[in-house]
Amino acid sequence: MDRQIYILVVEDELEVMEALVNDLEQFEEFFPIESANSSEEAKQVVKDVYAAGNEIGLVLCDHVMPGQNGVDFLIELQANNAQHEAKKVLVTGQAGLEDTIQAINNAKLDYYIAKPWTKEQLEEVVTTQLTNYIMERKYNPMQYMMILDSVRLSEYMRTHKITDH
Amino acid sequence: MPSKAFSDRRELLRFIRQAITESPELQKLLRTFSKGEVLFQQGDPIPHLYLLLEGEVTLNHKREDGTELDLITLAPGHFVGLVAFTTGNDSLTTCICRQNTIALCIRQDEYESVMTDHPKLSSPVQKLMLSNMATRFQKNVQLESKMNALNKQLEDEGEQLKLAYEQLESSHQKLVHQEKMATLGELVAGFAHEVNNPAAALLRSSEMLKSNFGDMQTNSAVSSIFKLGLDSKPVNSTDVRKRMLTIQKQFPWVKERSQVRKLAQMPDEALQLILDYKKDVGLEELVRQFESGKFIHNIQVASERIANLVKSLKSYSRQDNNEWEEIDIRDGINDTILILSHRLKYLNVELDLKDIPKTCGKMGELNQVWTNILVNACDALPDGGNISIKTKSEGDFKIVVLISDNGPGISEEIIDRIFEPNFTTKNQGAEFGLGLGLAISNEIIRQHGGFITVSNREQGGAQFKIILPVRAC
Amino acid sequence: MKLNKKQLIGIAIGLIGLIIPFFFHLEGLSDAGHVALGIFFLAAAYWMLEPFPIYATSVLVIFLQVILLSQQGFLFPESTAEYSPNNYTEFIGTLASPIIILFLGGFVLADAAVKYDLDRNLTRILLSPFGKKPGSILLGLMVVTALLSAFMSNTATTAMMMTVILPIMARISKTDPLRIGLALSIPFAANIGGITTPIGTPPNAVVIGALSQQGINIPFGEWMILATPLVVIALLFAWFLLLKMFKPEAASVEIDMSGKFNTSTNAILLYLAFGATVLFWVTESFHGVKSAIIALIPVVFLSLSGVITKEDIRKLPWEVLWLVAGGISLGISMKSTGLAEWIVGSIEWSAFGTIALLVVFASVSVLMSNFLSNTVTATLLIPLAVSLATSGIAGDGFNLIIVSLVIGVSASMAMMLPISTPPNAIAMSTGTIQTSNMAKAGISVGIFGIILVVIYALFYWPFILN
Repeated sequence: MDRQIYILVVEDELEVMEALVNDLEQFEEFFPIESANSSEEAKQVVKDVYAAGNEIGLVLCDHVMPGQNGVDFLIELQANNAQHEAKKVLVTGQAGLEDTIQAINNAKLDYYIAKPWTKEQLEEVVTTQLTNYIMERKYNPMQYMMILDSVRLSEYMRTHKITDH
Repeated sequence: MPSKAFSDRRELLRFIRQAITESPELQKLLRTFSKGEVLFQQGDPIPHLYLLLEGEVTLNHKREDGTELDLITLAPGHFVGLVAFTTGNDSLTTCICRQNTIALCIRQDEYESVMTDHPKLSSPVQKLMLSNMATRFQKNVQLESKMNALNKQLEDEGEQLKLAYEQLESSHQKLVHQEKMATLGELVAGFAHEVNNPAAALLRSSEMLKSNFGDMQTNSAVSSIFKLGLDSKPVNSTDVRKRMLTIQKQFPWVKERSQVRKLAQMPDEALQLILDYKKDVGLEELVRQFESGKFIHNIQVASERIANLVKSLKSYSRQDNNEWEEIDIRDGINDTILILSHRLKYLNVELDLKDIPKTCGKMGELNQVWTNILVNACDALPDGGNISIKTKSEGDFKIVVLISDNGPGISEEIIDRIFEPNFTTKNQGAEFGLGLGLAISNEIIRQHGGFITVSNREQGGAQFKIILPVRAC
Repeated sequence: MKLNKKQLIGIAIGLIGLIIPFFFHLEGLSDAGHVALGIFFLAAAYWMLEPFPIYATSVLVIFLQVILLSQQGFLFPESTAEYSPNNYTEFIGTLASPIIILFLGGFVLADAAVKYDLDRNLTRILLSPFGKKPGSILLGLMVVTALLSAFMSNTATTAMMMTVILPIMARISKTDPLRIGLALSIPFAANIGGITTPIGTPPNAVVIGALSQQGINIPFGEWMILATPLVVIALLFAWFLLLKMFKPEAASVEIDMSGKFNTSTNAILLYLAFGATVLFWVTESFHGVKSAIIALIPVVFLSLSGVITKEDIRKLPWEVLWLVAGGISLGISMKSTGLAEWIVGSIEWSAFGTIALLVVFASVSVLMSNFLSNTVTATLLIPLAVSLATSGIAGDGFNLIIVSLVIGVSASMAMMLPISTPPNAIAMSTGTIQTSNMAKAGISVGIFGIILVVIYALFYWPFILN
């Protein structure tokens, strides 16, 4: 597969970012991980990823960060044509009700993980969201069966007429 | 004047009596009323004009609510029904005889003819009428001024009441607030105890883990790379990206991206070790050792952070001691900043806390003042705004705290009112324990013997100035 | 469209293949034969190296034949002594040939079955008698898979069965070899099961298409009589093999499938259409109505009744039909230009005995389709075999039908590598099995398949056909 699907982790606290990236290690073989410590850096990373002909499949984003906050970053991402299909997950302990409503309404937030997370929970959410992404983008599900939700991908293949040649 | 009028009236009355005695026609107009008899009822039309010659009558007014009020008692020489006579309206009062009374009764329509027929009567009656009018006017003026005085008194009393109410409201708020802070304090105390235990366990365990791990390693490369991990600092993502590119060149045999990332997070020293020892120990093993060190380091950093946060929270709410004591208010300011870090994260906070003497105060309450001001500033500032907090001493007896921001400032319409109780620009109450109004801040500072002022700075933004006296407890 | 190096090389090889015959004169081959050879080279190169999707190559083949070889094309407007050009409608007509219509019927039925969960519910019902023992569960899964893939696409069947076995596998210990056995059982059974009916898998269509060009019609039921015993034995062998190679450790296996039959009017209409169509297909020999005509029943009935909608029709795997049509079309000109005959004539076949020839064809077919698309393998090999049989060079025992069957069936016996068939790729993608596991079991099944096919070709098929 030439076009790579990236996972983007946006988190300002370096220890937390490291922990997140470490927990996502098993996905890296299929979905390269990029990280950013601020919304501004994240935007640059997004730009670079797309410029290299790749795409962002999932964004895990903290909310409270210096500069632009996570929800506003996600809203901006949603407004961009190329990137609005990326799955968006808030990983935060501090987004209030209003911010969360904003994120759901204007950034089509896909999931909210409250800190502290567990590895199992994180993996489950990432698996589900990336599976959704693959199916929505109509990518060949076979190459992701091993890492993502294979039952759902099989079901997808069953109903989407992948045929023998 | 009254005495003159009085003597005039007696004189005039004498003339009138004389005129009556002389004319049998006029005598016919005399009528006698016995005590308690009613001349006319309130609301009746009054067909006669009465001139009292003997006895006394009382004018009585019945108010709408049913209560009766004796307005005036009239003596001989006074007219009754004068108002009705001049205006033609119905009677405003009920007239009751206090004694047996004799009055000259002239029908209104006959007045002119009586006066023309009895020129002797005409002049004194008219004079008497005039005197009556004058007296009434005089009384009216007196009443007016008396009423004014009464109104003024009423207003003053109202003002005092309002002030008292405001004070009551303010102390009520403060009481509620103190209650909240006490609850918060209790919560914090319990919370702190509960969190401190696991935090301590974390810290201790990571220490032991560190030494155990160190002992287990026999290979020098492994142990030195583990130690490097212990001392490692997290690398920001921009640097990680840059380093990942160099790592790919330096370690072309490492294919997995996650492995490349891990290498990119290592200091050069560790990378050199890996290059030196890659034959004896596998790359993965070395990376894992480094990561183990780093994880232990992270545990330590994180548990220290928890312990510090708990300490700050405790001293912030000052549950352990909210008494008057010698305090350095800069400690309180630092705690407050830590507690509010989730809000202040978006802003640039400039601290300039110069040495100031200790003073006698209640730390917990003063912290509320800083919190109130900072929370308000956070609400007013856009992301990336500036807040500056300065302390300095003026002479040996004054501490000055300046908290300023570069926000929109406070509009002139409300700047005078922001310390009033119940004043708020927010729709809803603030979060629990935070930002409970500048009125309370004002009250707290006042109790500390200081005062708080606010102004808009020339370069934009608001500035709060708090001046506290240096006192001994 | 961005082409990588591999694609560019593939395109170049194909073009060279197309042009070369124009520059060399091959003794005994007509001019048209040279052109057909060029097209054959191009098709072979593109189908094997896949610089383009294989269905695209198929329509390219049809197009090239129309413009180069048809009566309406540039090169041969007039009939000559050595080549009387086909009308272009013969080439494009392959897109609506009976076998294509038969497949269309199959697609519509399978599509509707998936839409109304008939496949899953049948699986649930059919699996229940197989109990909880790993061995019998494995057999049950394989039987059901084979049965479904006889009427549905092997890939769709595999995908559906994956949704059944993945939860089972999740409950089995990670070290239990049963996991590997389970993961392999589905694609193996799907590949083998596809042989059962004419609509089971596209290579069957190629066989039937090629034979019908020779005026030979194989009724649906007769195909099943020819194929079913072979399928049963191959399936049992594969089951036995997997059970031996990957001995289950778990004592019992829980299958947790819940659900109930859809009872909406549309679903019931579908059940009726499905049952009736299969019944009429199987009994073709009795009533004589051609299976392609019967195949129109579900197409007409299900679209009239609204059981399948415009969207469903749009989503049918039309590219498979293109692929098969391209293959059939290539066979037309190979025969009419004399190319096939020339290739056959240029090899000294009589040196081989009949058995040896059958073994060679079966082996080449299995080997090729392990690396190439099964359909492409059948498409490339069958014209040769057909010419060989019709020319009579290989002797009487070399029956046209039998050799076509050998190739077609053998093409479905390839399951050695993940790339061999899409079902294999799906099983592999679950990450439960190593390529070596698949290769070991796949080679065994392949070799057994070759032996089995040759035995059948020698004894059973002649017995039935005569």
